[in-house]
This record gives sequence, structure tokens and C-alpha cells, in this order.
Amino acid sequence: MFRDIYVTFHGFLQNFGAMCLFLARLVQYTPSVLIKRYSLVTYQVYNAGALSIVIIMVSGLFVGGVLGLQAYSNLERFNAEDTTGIFAGFALIKEIGPVITALLFAGRAGTSLASEIGLMKATDQLSAMEMMAVDPLRYVAVPRFLGGVISMPLLTAVFTTVGLLGAHLVAVELLGVDVGAYWQQLQSALDMEDVYEGIIKSVVFGIIASLMAVWEGYNSVPTAEGVGRATTRTVVITAIAVLVFDFMITAWIL
Amino acid sequence: MLCYARFRDRLGSLTNGSGKLPDKIIEVRDVDFSRGNRTIFRNLNLTIERGQVTAIMGPSGTGKTTLLQLITRQLRPDRGQVLVDGVDIATLSQAQLYQLRQRFGVLFQNGALLTDMSVFENVAFPIREHTRLPDSLIRHVVLTKLHAVGLRGAADLMPSQLSGGMARRVALARAIAMDPDILLYDEPFVGLDPISMGVIVKLVGQLNDALDITSIVVSHDVHDVAAVADFSYVIADGDVAASGTPEELRNTSSELVKQFMHGLPDGPVGFHYDAPDYAEQLLGTRSDSR
Repeated sequence: MFRDIYVTFHGFLQNFGAMCLFLARLVQYTPSVLIKRYSLVTYQVYNAGALSIVIIMVSGLFVGGVLGLQAYSNLERFNAEDTTGIFAGFALIKEIGPVITALLFAGRAGTSLASEIGLMKATDQLSAMEMMAVDPLRYVAVPRFLGGVISMPLLTAVFTTVGLLGAHLVAVELLGVDVGAYWQQLQSALDMEDVYEGIIKSVVFGIIASLMAVWEGYNSVPTAEGVGRATTRTVVITAIAVLVFDFMITAWIL
Repeated sequence: MLCYARFRDRLGSLTNGSGKLPDKIIEVRDVDFSRGNRTIFRNLNLTIERGQVTAIMGPSGTGKTTLLQLITRQLRPDRGQVLVDGVDIATLSQAQLYQLRQRFGVLFQNGALLTDMSVFENVAFPIREHTRLPDSLIRHVVLTKLHAVGLRGAADLMPSQLSGGMARRVALARAIAMDPDILLYDEPFVGLDPISMGVIVKLVGQLNDALDITSIVVSHDVHDVAAVADFSYVIADGDVAASGTPEELRNTSSELVKQFMHGLPDGPVGFHYDAPDYAEQLLGTRSDSR
């Protein structure tokens, strides 16, 4: 049993080390890719970011609505329903916005990236690039990684904004909270530090989600089963890593 | 460019400054290669002559594609050397290797076309990546290459709109886009109808002569390869089982080569994969039987 634990732990460390080296190479190639292949990066921002906007907005609207409902029903007991805006705003900007956006991003864009790269590997497209003396890491992996990293904070901003509007819709338009109180309370309670916390989290989660997608796709077993497994692992590992890092960043900031 | 200059210098020293390159364009010397516990090659030696069409043949699973991957350094041997124009490719840096690979054209078994690009863009891809030619000139080059494989009219199609044979021909056009010195074909005839196969066979010979290049064709399709190959190697059991012209191989005394060349169902290469005793396994008397 101890041997199994040792083997598992050893494998995990090996995999983690290889992934860190992979990240280092992505970062190393980033400046040259941004200069020479910016059009590929732009396309990947569109692919990972713009194409995820609908799911992000719809989710943001309903998550905001739920927050508005929960906040109102609990705060009403203390005659504090005017502070619904603060409750929804803090939750969305500091926690729920970055976390749920990252989870949705992993489900929509992360799986798409992992399966796309995995299929390119399975159909020898990456090998073909290598044989044409084109480094697939620079041509395929880095633009997709950067596309995800750039998209995540933007998507988080969209999610949070639509979430606040969703909470407004429920709390103000449906439940009768005063519109002035909703926005004024939120504005006076919120500091820039709270916004920075959300931005830091969205950037870190963007790096995690994009790295996992690109890493899993790039290292997938080149079979149908291997690509499927890589796609599943992308979502599972990203979700766990995002929640762990969310706790760590929150603990660090508080 | 500095790396390439160094590579050319090393190449220059091999030609004694005469500018004439050695006749052996590729040498595989004493190569051992294993995957896990399975030995693929044991002390493999072979040479590829410049300007010829050389066929690498052998039963399935003998490592023909692995040999191509060793020649292009997609894999590294456990022992031994692979020399291209006398240079051990294991000693090349990443930049030097990529310079060398610009001299290779590879036709993959399934074509390996980039699925998000049109036929035109697939052929233009290596040219755009490695040159600064204007678009008008790239267009001329691409259309010339597509014309050579008979698919100039398919330039605007996407890979998903092509048949297997057409995809293979587009991949061939892409492989010759940079005017390579060495063209490697990995099972170019697999899964093709007789007409497409005939077209590819014809192209292999035509391109080799017209472009004055060296071609290596990995295949187990004995008859079609024999039609174009100047020289052939038959690989089996991790080593070269026989070599010679197609005619010499047909008249060989080796039982294994005879079985392979004449497509006999049984012989040195058994019909059955290694298995425990049939009766014992059926009766379940073996402790490890399923």
C-alpha cells in the first residue's frame, strides 16, 4: 500500500514538474508570439472569449438573480433589504464572478481547446508542423494559452456586470428595493481593493484554466479515448484548482 | 541563420570543399531502439543513396514508420547514429534540426492536413512560415505545386471536402512546397482506390525525377512499391532481412522475404500472435487462462 502511495505521489510530482516546465516554455515564447503571430492570438481571444459571451451573460443574469433573491429574503428579516446591492456586489465581484466564470470557461472554451489540440495530435497535424520546421508550441499552444489568459478577465467583467444587473432586476424591479439605495449602498461600500481582488483572481484563474486545457490537449494520448479523457481531465482539474486557488488567494488577501 | 551557416559549414567540411555531396544521403548506423520492453531495432544498418527511390518494406508492426521517425529525429535511437549528409542528427540543436527539416518533405499516412485551413493555405503554410515572399509569388508557387498533383482546381476546398486520395495528393503538394532534397512517404498507398493509388505511384516516380530529389517510401504494398523503387529494404525482427532491387528481392532464397513478397498467409511470420496452448486455454487448465 505504501508503495502504491509512493508511486502515485512520484507520478504526480513528475507530472507537476513537467507541467511547470511547459508553462515556463509558454511564457518564454509569449513575447515572440505576441509580436510575430498576434493575429493568431487575436483569433484565439475571439475563439475562447467572444464565443463564450452568450453562456457567460445568460449564466451571469441568473446567478445575479438568485443572489438578489437570496439577499433580499434574508436581509428583509432585519429590515436591511436596502443593502441587497452590497451583498450581491461583494459576492459577484470578489468571489462568484471570477470562480463561476472560470468554471464556465473550463466547460466551454477549455474543453474546446483541449479536444482541438488533442485531435490535432491524433491526426498527426502537430507532427506535420514539426516536420515543416514549425514549432507547434509556438504556433498552436502559445496563442491558445494567451487567448484564454486575455479572455478570462474580460469574461469575468461581463459576468459580474450582467450579474449585478440580474440582481437589480430581481431586487429592484420585482421585489421593490429602492433603485437609489441599491446602487448607492454598493458604491459607498465597495473599495478598489475589492475590485482588485476580483481582477487578481480572474487573471490567476485564466492562467490555470488555459494552462490545463493546453497541457491536457498537448499531452493527450492520440486516440479517441485519449482525447476524451484529456477533455474530461481539463474540466475536473481546472475546477478543483480554481477552488483551491480561490481559497488561497482569499486567505492571502484577507 | 547563424545556426544554418554552421550546419552548412559542417556540411562543407564533409564535401572537402569540392561542393559534391556524398552519395549516401542518409546512413543508419548500428541503431538500437526499444519501446518499453519491446525491441524494435537491434543493430540496424542501412543507407539511402542520393537521387534514388528507396523502399522500406516489411510486415506490419516491424517498425517502418518508427524508422522514418528516427531519420527525421522525431525519435532518438537508444544507441547508434543516424547521419544525414554525414552529419549525426542527434548532435543538432533545435534550431539546426529545424533548418535540416526544411530539406525534408514528409507525406504522412493520413495526410495530416491542417483542418482549419483551405487546400491553398495548407500548401502555402510552410512557404509563409519560412520565407518572406509576397502573396502574389506565393500564389504562383502554390498553384504550381497543386498543378503538379492535379488539384489546382481544388485550391479553395477545405480538407473535410476532399476524398482520401485527394487529401494525400494535397499533402504531397505541401510536402514539396519548399522544394525539399528528401521526400519521405509513410504508407502512401494505404486505403486508396486503384485509380488514386495509380496516381500516387506515378507521382512518386515523376517527382523524384523532375525535382531531382531522394525519395524514401515506407510501405507494405509490395507490387506498387516495386513499380517505382530503385532499391528496397525488407525489415523484419528488428533488422534488415533483405535488400536489393525489386527484381533481386523477388528471386530471393530467404523464406521470410519470399513469404512477404508473395503474400503467403503462413511462414516464418506466423498467422497466430504468440499465445498459450490452444487446448489448455480452452479447457481452462492454465492458471492464467481467460
